Amino acid sequence: MLVISRKKGESLLIGDDIAITIVGINDNSVRISISAPKSVTILREELYKQVKEENIKATNFDSSILKTIKK
Amino acid sequence: MKICTKYHGEREYEEKDIIIFNKGLPGFEYLKKFILFPVEENEVFSILHSIEDDKIGFVVISPYYVMEDYEVDIDDEKIKELNITVSEDALVLNTVTLNSEIKDITANLQAPIIINIKDKIGEQIILSDDKYKIKYPLFREWKYVSNF
Repeated sequence: MLVISRKKGESLLIGDDIAITIVGINDNSVRISISAPKSVTILREELYKQVKEENIKATNFDSSILKTIKK
Repeated sequence: MKICTKYHGEREYEEKDIIIFNKGLPGFEYLKKFILFPVEENEVFSILHSIEDDKIGFVVISPYYVMEDYEVDIDDEKIKELNITVSEDALVLNTVTLNSEIKDITANLQAPIIINIKDKIGEQIILSDDKYKIKYPLFREWKYVSNF
């Protein structure tokens, strides 16, 4: 795990083809620009976590209730 | 080949029915092999079931039952990864989260499962815009009739 400080305007290079630049800094948030190949998925972490939780929840139920629903 | 699923009884399947999820699914990254079969009591729903873990199966639904104008924008890179060459090969499904209250049953429209039905490859894509909800109520568009 690398922890590093960057000032506004500074960048990080990750691997051969990913670049991260700090574009703006506010009190509570940082604006980040990411340049990466299309094959690399970039996601807000909380979104991934929410989908993960929803998937886990979705596997935990007896689907016999579906018999009671008709279109 | 056969699996004894936890909630859906015994299912027979063949090698050619197996759908490979190279990345697994969020929360189940280690499960790569699934089969898809319709729910007997209600053909609107299907089950995407792991053949590696008999307890893990997802109720899934075609999003167009839930929302007529549902649109998924998948970039070319992803389409290539899934080997999809014609739109007929692509199947879009969304997981359904059940609830004992029918009105609280939801579909995850933010993370569609895209399956190349010809080559049997699948992936769950998380859409990065917030156009659709992770918990979209199903019953909104349907009138439902109870069997009781």
